[in-house]
Amino acid sequence: MFSEEEVVRSHKDRADIIITLVTLCFGIVLIRLCYLQIYQGDMLYEYSVKNRLRKEVISASRGMIFSRNNQLLVHNVPRFDAIIIPQYLSNKKQTLTKLSEILDISVKDIKKILKKYRAQARYRPVLIKKNISKKEVAIIETENEKMPGVSVQTFISREYKDKEVGSHLLGYISEISRDQLPRYRKRDNYNYKLGDFIGQSGIEEEFDFFLRGEDGYQFMEVDARGRMKRVISSNNLFAGIENKASIPGKNIRLTIDRDLQNVAYKALEEKVGSVVALKVDTGEVLSMVSRPSFDPTQFSRGLTAEYWNSLTSNENNPLRDRAIQEHYAPGSTYKTFTAIAALEEGVVKPNEIIKCGPTFRLGRRVFNDWKRSGHGDTDVYKSLRRSVDVYYYKVSKMMHINDMSKYARMFGLGSKTEIDLPREIPGLIPTAEWKKKRFGKEWQLGENLVCAIGQGYVLTTPLQLAISYAAIANGGRVFRPQIIKEIFTNSGEVLKTFTPEEVSKANVSEKTLEHVKKGLYQVVNARKGTAWWYRGRGIRMAGKTGTAQVRSMTQTELFSKCKDMPYKSRHHGLFVGFAPFDDPKIAVAAVVEHGCSGSSAAAPIVRDVITKYMKKYHPELHKKYAEEDRIAYLQLIKKERAKKEALEKKKKAEQEANAETEDSDGL
Amino acid sequence: MDFSTLKDFFKRYDFSFFLLCTVIFFFGVINLYSATHSSLSTQHASLYKVQIVKYVFSIALGFGLSFIQPKTYFRFAWLIYGFNVFLLILVLFVGDKGMGARRWLLIGPVRIQPSELMKLSIIFVLARYYKKYNSDGDTGIRQMIFPAFLAFIPALLTIVEPDLGTGVLILLIFFTIAFYRKLRWKTLGVLAVVGLLSGAVMYEFGLKDYQKRRIKTFLNPSADARGSGYNAIQSKIAIGSGKFWGKGFKNSSQASLNYLPENHTDFVFSIFNEEHGFFGAILTIGLYLFLFFRFIRLATSVSRIFDSIVVIGIMSIFFWHTFINMSMVMGLMPVVGLPLPLMSYGGSSLLTFGICIGVTTSISNARNMF
Repeated sequence: MFSEEEVVRSHKDRADIIITLVTLCFGIVLIRLCYLQIYQGDMLYEYSVKNRLRKEVISASRGMIFSRNNQLLVHNVPRFDAIIIPQYLSNKKQTLTKLSEILDISVKDIKKILKKYRAQARYRPVLIKKNISKKEVAIIETENEKMPGVSVQTFISREYKDKEVGSHLLGYISEISRDQLPRYRKRDNYNYKLGDFIGQSGIEEEFDFFLRGEDGYQFMEVDARGRMKRVISSNNLFAGIENKASIPGKNIRLTIDRDLQNVAYKALEEKVGSVVALKVDTGEVLSMVSRPSFDPTQFSRGLTAEYWNSLTSNENNPLRDRAIQEHYAPGSTYKTFTAIAALEEGVVKPNEIIKCGPTFRLGRRVFNDWKRSGHGDTDVYKSLRRSVDVYYYKVSKMMHINDMSKYARMFGLGSKTEIDLPREIPGLIPTAEWKKKRFGKEWQLGENLVCAIGQGYVLTTPLQLAISYAAIANGGRVFRPQIIKEIFTNSGEVLKTFTPEEVSKANVSEKTLEHVKKGLYQVVNARKGTAWWYRGRGIRMAGKTGTAQVRSMTQTELFSKCKDMPYKSRHHGLFVGFAPFDDPKIAVAAVVEHGCSGSSAAAPIVRDVITKYMKKYHPELHKKYAEEDRIAYLQLIKKERAKKEALEKKKKAEQEANAETEDSDGL
Repeated sequence: MDFSTLKDFFKRYDFSFFLLCTVIFFFGVINLYSATHSSLSTQHASLYKVQIVKYVFSIALGFGLSFIQPKTYFRFAWLIYGFNVFLLILVLFVGDKGMGARRWLLIGPVRIQPSELMKLSIIFVLARYYKKYNSDGDTGIRQMIFPAFLAFIPALLTIVEPDLGTGVLILLIFFTIAFYRKLRWKTLGVLAVVGLLSGAVMYEFGLKDYQKRRIKTFLNPSADARGSGYNAIQSKIAIGSGKFWGKGFKNSSQASLNYLPENHTDFVFSIFNEEHGFFGAILTIGLYLFLFFRFIRLATSVSRIFDSIVVIGIMSIFFWHTFINMSMVMGLMPVVGLPLPLMSYGGSSLLTFGICIGVTTSISNARNMF
């Protein structure tokens, strides 16, 4: 055997080979260096001194959003910003002075902005003024020669045609924030960078993936002042480097009707609340507005501090979509479901008369009716028509809360509707188990009575109310609200079509629904119905008013005039209805916060929306109904007048008779 | 220890590696200063000071290690290797995330990168293996199986972090050592074929998108989606524009290089070439070559096969880093993100090289000291 030292020496051959290989490798490196530095040296030197290569991002245009009738709702409009590229800024003083004259900003302010961005790379543009006018653009472009480093950047701004109308539904876009960056990269598997615009709410957020498109880029040679010289196509150095065209975003067609949207928004004028209108037989959302609102265009342009402050300082929070992100106690609109439960469970028969006084006593607690004098004999129709609280106290006492809730849930209440919009909240239909879990306490019978009239734990969103009443109108079919009809490309190719989706069917007999619907019809169309004065003409509306207490009240407060109370204590006004009664086509829910009463605040809104719908989509029917309504009304007046006259006659006769007797007495 | 022995000690102590490295580092730090001095951010502009501090620390650590005798590494080779593999597994689960990869372990304020240390651990364990079981004769397929196993485990663990550059580097170190250990030419041929095939499979199934993109960009720049080909072009312009004499110190007018986010780490050599031209490049490459030759000469003059293999391994760390980095900045190879030894900014790579030099010096000293 060899000694270890000899073993080591025996590796000398391999060591020599390694030395040769290492030398060879660096030989290759040197040859390459020769090629670059000696052979191509002059050309590359030129490049480095005179020309600069820049990669420009071509932003993809965001997809447009259309109404159901192909009216444009959201599109893109170019906007111009004045920028400075510090790298090319020479003759600073003169340039800045000139720029300050054009833009009407002081030199000091410009310097301040430049200073703020001092830490970033010098080739990166610094934004000096947003949204400059066409005139300013023209001046800067022509004076460009004298202001090296200053240029105009075009920017595509997102414009929302109807400004505040329906902005919650459409959403807004704004720059991705630092905390969103990692989250969205992960979610979309897309390399977002700061400065990218993304949908932040509504359709813009939910369908961001489709609307966004894909940015492209191109390589450009720019001269020493940063102006584009030419787009690189190919020469020997850049052979193989290619530009990439941007892919525009996809367009979206909504189920929303622009006219209804405007009518609904206008009807809510000066009010706080929301309106949702649905197609009864498909669940398509025709209109969905919330007030107060905001102008999403402002967001894509870059918010001004004042506008942002005006939004955040508004205590009604204009950014919240009240149609799906706010819980309301449904108030009397919930009685419909209590009635369905009572009829289905066999607690009462439709024509069964229940005596309803002004109050109902359960144990030591007294439950008031809204009407001080009480309603007297009441069947199920009258209970709805006149919204008789005591009737519902009495029937709910005979049921278990879980049975009551079961029916409300069947109609889509108490869980998310799963509409394609972000941050929907689920509402709440309580059960005994729920209370046990939530509060650790047993369910009390008294809570039945409170829930029966849509107060207490019961919470709904306006969208849920609309869906549930649409289900009542269409025979119990609960739809997932559909908001998008289709997604299509600029060339018109349809990528995705959305169809109505029936989620469930309420297990309720046809008869029960007929009884309830009859009651709802009387609410609007019977002389003493709570919404009689807001019945409109030619729409054959059925519905239910609701007045939801905001907080518990003493008896005196309860009967004091709502308008005299402080704003925050006033009742919420609700109305949910559908029309036309014979063949329901549209269901509408309206909620007016602190509107005092469902009939005076919310019912007219629903009436307006439905009237617009009937006029637009079923003009013949509307005409026919209007004529019939007119005749029926005339007859009613005639009848009432005759009744009145008869009454007066009778009175007169009595008086005369009395007078005669007096006379005779006098005698 | 009296004065004469101390004097004697320093006479016998081999300072040549430390000296050579410090010269190269000096080139690097001047270049780093030049690349960053005009930066607007003060943090960026004072990177060269940080670099000096880190270098001094690394060299001090290396100096300390040079007093540990090589047989200690021999004795603990398995332990070091095993612990390091454990760290590599650990990092996959509790590692600190940065830029989409889990590469660092946080231990209090210290951030260590187990894959960096692995470069050295694999050398120790391979050297010990060859010393113990195959210190004589050729290396055929059969003698390759177990060492290959030892190398592939940490290499794969590193690649899934994902850190393709370091993973491949571990394999390259392994092959260099095997070659030195008289790998049969026939075997080498077979391995080359197998390597190519498995490489193709791995590319298809094992690589992350961005890694694929880098390779694609290299093979076909037009396939580039995120502009890594653009960096390569900017780098080429910078190098070429230096011509023979360069533009001079602090004169890197290739402003477009500001586009390179890594102009002080992976792309230092482009800036160096721009400022010092072909002439400067020859000088630097000469220095590196000199360093490699010294390593190889040392490898054949030690008395123990373990030491010899360790030195060759360490040489291969330096060599592959240098060669791959230079090739990638001048467009000969895909951009894989390996630093240029002693010139690129970065603490963990400096530390690795410092430790390597320390171990080498200890081996060199062992010849004539103990």
